[in-house]
Amino acid sequence: MKYFLRKVGFFVLTLWAVVTLNFFIPRLQPGDPAELMVQKLAGKNAQLNPAQVAAIRDMLGTPTGSLWSQYWQYLGQLAHGNFGVSYTYFPFGVMQVIGQAFWWTVILVTIVQVLSFGIGVLLGAFAAWKRNGRFDTAVTLVSTFVGTLQPFWIALLLIYGLGYGLGWFATSGGYEDSTPGFNWGFVYDAISHGFLPALTLMIVTPVGWVLGMRNTMVLNLGEDYVRLAKAKGLPDKVVALRYAARNALLPSVTGFALALGGVLGGTILVETVFDYPGLGRLMGEAVGYKDYPMLQALMLLTAVATLLANLVADLLYGVLDPRARRAQA
Amino acid sequence: MTVVGADPMAESAPEQTGVADGAKRASGPDPWYKIIWSSKKARVGLIVLAIYILVAIFAPLIAPYPPQQNTFTPLLNASWSHPLGTNTGGQDVFSQLVYGSRVSLLVGVLGGTLATAIALVIGLISGYTEGTIVDDVLSFLTNVALVIPVLPLIITLVAYSNVRGIGLIVGVIAITSWAGAARAKRAQIITLRNRDFVTAAKFSGEGPWRIVFFEIMPNMTSLVAAAFVGAATGAIGAEAGLAVLGLGSNDSVSWGTILYQADAAGAISQGLFAWVFVPGLVLAVLITAMSFINFGVDLLSNPHLREG
Amino acid sequence: MTATVTTTDRAATGGPLLSVERLSVRYEPKRHAPTEAVSDVSFEIRPGEFIGLIGESGSGKTTLGTALLRLLERPGRISAGRIVFDGTDITDLPEDDLRGMRWTEISTVFQSSMNSLNPVLRVDEQFRDVIEYHTRRRGQQVSDRIDTLFDMVLIDRRFQRSYPHELSGGMRQRINLALALAIEPRFVLLDEPTTGLDVVVQKSILDNIRRLQAELGFAVLFISHDIGTVLDLSDRILVMYGGRIVEQQRARDLLADPLHPYTKGLLGSYGDPRAETVTITYVPGRPPDLTAGYTGCAFAPRCPEAIAGCRSVEPPLLRLGEHGGEAACHVAALQRGQGERSGVGTEEVGPVVRGFAGPQFVKTAEDERSLHDREVLLSVDAVSKTYLRRRGLGTTRTEAVRDASFVLRKGAVTALVGQSGSGKSTLARMITGVESPSTGSVTFHGEQGSFAVGSRRGRSLRDYRSHVQMVFQDPYSALNPTKTLGYILSRPLANYRGLRGAEARRAVLELLETVALTPAERYIDRFGYELSGGQRQRVVIARALAVEPELIIADEPIASLDVSIRAEILELLNSLVRDRGVTILYITHDLLSARMIADDVVVLNQGRVVEQGPALEVIRNPQDDYTRLLLDAVPNPTAG
Repeated sequence: MKYFLRKVGFFVLTLWAVVTLNFFIPRLQPGDPAELMVQKLAGKNAQLNPAQVAAIRDMLGTPTGSLWSQYWQYLGQLAHGNFGVSYTYFPFGVMQVIGQAFWWTVILVTIVQVLSFGIGVLLGAFAAWKRNGRFDTAVTLVSTFVGTLQPFWIALLLIYGLGYGLGWFATSGGYEDSTPGFNWGFVYDAISHGFLPALTLMIVTPVGWVLGMRNTMVLNLGEDYVRLAKAKGLPDKVVALRYAARNALLPSVTGFALALGGVLGGTILVETVFDYPGLGRLMGEAVGYKDYPMLQALMLLTAVATLLANLVADLLYGVLDPRARRAQA
Repeated sequence: MTVVGADPMAESAPEQTGVADGAKRASGPDPWYKIIWSSKKARVGLIVLAIYILVAIFAPLIAPYPPQQNTFTPLLNASWSHPLGTNTGGQDVFSQLVYGSRVSLLVGVLGGTLATAIALVIGLISGYTEGTIVDDVLSFLTNVALVIPVLPLIITLVAYSNVRGIGLIVGVIAITSWAGAARAKRAQIITLRNRDFVTAAKFSGEGPWRIVFFEIMPNMTSLVAAAFVGAATGAIGAEAGLAVLGLGSNDSVSWGTILYQADAAGAISQGLFAWVFVPGLVLAVLITAMSFINFGVDLLSNPHLREG
Repeated sequence: MTATVTTTDRAATGGPLLSVERLSVRYEPKRHAPTEAVSDVSFEIRPGEFIGLIGESGSGKTTLGTALLRLLERPGRISAGRIVFDGTDITDLPEDDLRGMRWTEISTVFQSSMNSLNPVLRVDEQFRDVIEYHTRRRGQQVSDRIDTLFDMVLIDRRFQRSYPHELSGGMRQRINLALALAIEPRFVLLDEPTTGLDVVVQKSILDNIRRLQAELGFAVLFISHDIGTVLDLSDRILVMYGGRIVEQQRARDLLADPLHPYTKGLLGSYGDPRAETVTITYVPGRPPDLTAGYTGCAFAPRCPEAIAGCRSVEPPLLRLGEHGGEAACHVAALQRGQGERSGVGTEEVGPVVRGFAGPQFVKTAEDERSLHDREVLLSVDAVSKTYLRRRGLGTTRTEAVRDASFVLRKGAVTALVGQSGSGKSTLARMITGVESPSTGSVTFHGEQGSFAVGSRRGRSLRDYRSHVQMVFQDPYSALNPTKTLGYILSRPLANYRGLRGAEARRAVLELLETVALTPAERYIDRFGYELSGGQRQRVVIARALAVEPELIIADEPIASLDVSIRAEILELLNSLVRDRGVTILYITHDLLSARMIADDVVVLNQGRVVEQGPALEVIRNPQDDYTRLLLDAVPNPTAG
């Protein structure tokens, strides 16, 4: 029990740290967001009208007062899910815009992440079992090389090859000729648009699992309990899965959660290249248009998602590894 | 754990009353460079890296034009005079590529060094003071830094800054990517700290600083080396990612910048394939070479990977 | 079993269950010279026979065991010879054919590295796996079988649902034993099954093994570094040295008439602590480096009986004993008129000696000194130490030491004897000033007057350490692998005596000479890993001497050394007391070594001092049951 409490406690503390960090980062930057916005709306060299700035400030709900009271206001707003107004999609609120993009990314990332984990762990475990064989060498070399490819570059190549060259898949956007909703036309459309972004991510993400799993598993195969399982005459499948892989998987479970942040980071570039209507593209846009409220909200969202995944992984780890419950408690 | 097969003399070396007098131990460890060089992958990696370094040093001799010269016809396809074509601004892409190696290597070296230094200081202090409030705070900091997604954070930090030099990019990359290495170092120093030779050093009258840096640190060189190569690799990749988003340094052209320009110019739809393909490949080969070097470095810290 | 049967049926001929014929195992790593870890080994085990395989670290005994189990992994492989089990040649038997024999015929208990059980599976599942795979038992039948097995090793059935980490080391090792017997195999290989466990636990597991073997009648190959633990269990003993079997005899013949000088050396390291005069010997030098190769007998460089032929001609294993005992030794062969067969013709040798003719360490009852007139250097007065550990909402109290009182007298050796968990390490920490007692006091009566040790930090702890130094248990972990001996020894000289440069170097050389690492110049620039275990421990002692302390705390200084060289370190410590008048607190679980070196003995059990007094008196006339238990646990092959 204490193990779980501890993990939840860490989650809450980290969440607070992230929220606070998110509060301070924009404040490191000189200038007033309202002024920036007016500047943006009016054009680079226009004179600022103080009345306009004041009006915008009221509208944006830009906090005033001491840093301390600003902080409290900020926390209050977060509690109400209020992230302010997007500069780019003015007058829409940040949460509205994010709400539209949310599921596009979540579905994409979930599918990619789960598939990658499964494929990666299996390949890694098998490579370790057959270590130094041809399969192992091939898997290790290919993974190492593919893992270093930049996702956006793969995206560009895929667009070049499968998109323009062969014309099999749509190369940009999330859908074209259909109405969003649960109808066959839309689902097909979405899949055909989502395929290349997914493929891009699928090329890169399993690599970490392959190499990580392989190395832990190689170490595990040297453990006495694995050697004893062999001496027991248990079939290879049982020795490999129930004894070696079962133990080797444990570090990967924690890694699964930490990697989520990496995948979300990867989507920024990939979605931008494919113009896929998800959170990553929003972030790319927000960077380009200096849409700070949006940037801040996305940053927070990504961090919270990673934290949550991390919490789940930690709790799961406690279930999977009987030692964790006691030793770390 | 005893890996029979990995070490012929891995006889009984139990904790309590065992015996441990193997010939293997008597022969001592090989020097680190021999171990790294013994890995075929590391050899390939080192040779490739050496080529990149030579290109960066002799860029003015290799590049056919100065990288900023913008007097050519824009958007030319690859040809003998412009091996990778020209960009929207009428610059020779190949020359930019050659000079770009300087940016990537510089970012790698500086980012790697800075991130490793931060990780080393935090990891060592945290590990040596394990169980105290200092460790609690530093560990918490490390864990927070570990769970915050790096790329979004880097992007946010860079997006907020108005002036973007290499220094800023290196700095931001370094302060966002030290956490994993710091945690590994903390873990290692905790195991080393409880070794008898550390207690013995205390009995020899050594102070805490001398113990950490003269007794413990020399036993961690392989981990530090691996962390450095890892951090340098990450920094090179992160810089490219930033540049692709248009957040690159404004005062120099990196491979990521070239890709950004290619994407912005719609190089693909115009069939300017080389402009996209080569910078990405060059980047991937460099990072692969560094990963290969890390295979060799891994052998140092993990003897079990060395043999069969 | 589908493989070809190469020998005739066992039942018909009454032949061996396991026969090993000229087996060699080589390790061929890519980047190092190949090593022949096992060379030309032949022996047989008959059904139901109990064989002890003795060898020190690097002798190849574990490699041999691994080869018999067919668990060798690259870069190791069987390079010559064969292994025949019950008529089936299993040397190259494919894994699929071997699987049916594994555990049903041949099972094993590994070294008690505590890691043989899968940490993420409950214990009963690990029994179930193997029982269901190899037998037709299912469901309740399996549970019944597991119950029976747990009863056999005397472990409460409720622990079946535990995870391995929830069990003590002794329990885990009993469970491993039960697991090995799950399918009633005919042959069980026990590889150091009790090493690392407390002596009392060790003894009860050995008793368990002996009883089960008698009841169930399986054959055993018991691998151990410690001849004392297996001698009275075994029917026959194999002694390994440098990858070869150097002696093979019935246990009682081996005891009465050991053939090989190395066997004599091993036997000589034991003694009866209760005897009037205790003599233990040690084998100087270090085991052979098998990568370098050697000519002649591998033991010759360490052998006190060696003759010229030993260094040039490799001795074959010959039948020399009256009851079929075999040894690979020219001297033993010549003494028994077998010089021709041994290949050394008619060289001159001395008469047969039963004991080891090398250096020895003798302690007689007369050596006991009266110490009660000596000044007290350190006194422990009514010391208790309680650790409070927060667990959830409550706290648990662990009383590590309870109301302990004793004194250390100047120039004397006091042995603090107890098992792990007895509180001896906690006491050591309080005496070295790392921790302070919860109640009571530790007082140091130094040259500059008396002061309470208490819990010290920083400067004050540093100053105190100029009076009190430590010798550690594991000399491998006590020397920094990145530093030369010269550096290691120069640090305390610089820190406490302000010696630098040439002056420091002179002092370092002197220290090396003191601990008999001569010529010192040859050692000063070496690294710890280049030395043997015994030499390393000498360096550790030299470092403790560097500050010229008044008190040295030696924490199990011989426990991790090979049995054959332990006495060497004891003798060194003894000479320091005699020559330099240093006071030693000798912490140990072993009453024999306490008898050899200590003047006073303090016996500690569960944090309490249960008995103390002059060593000879306590050991020869123990008043407390626990002291008697410890005395019984001292392996004593010579008494048999």
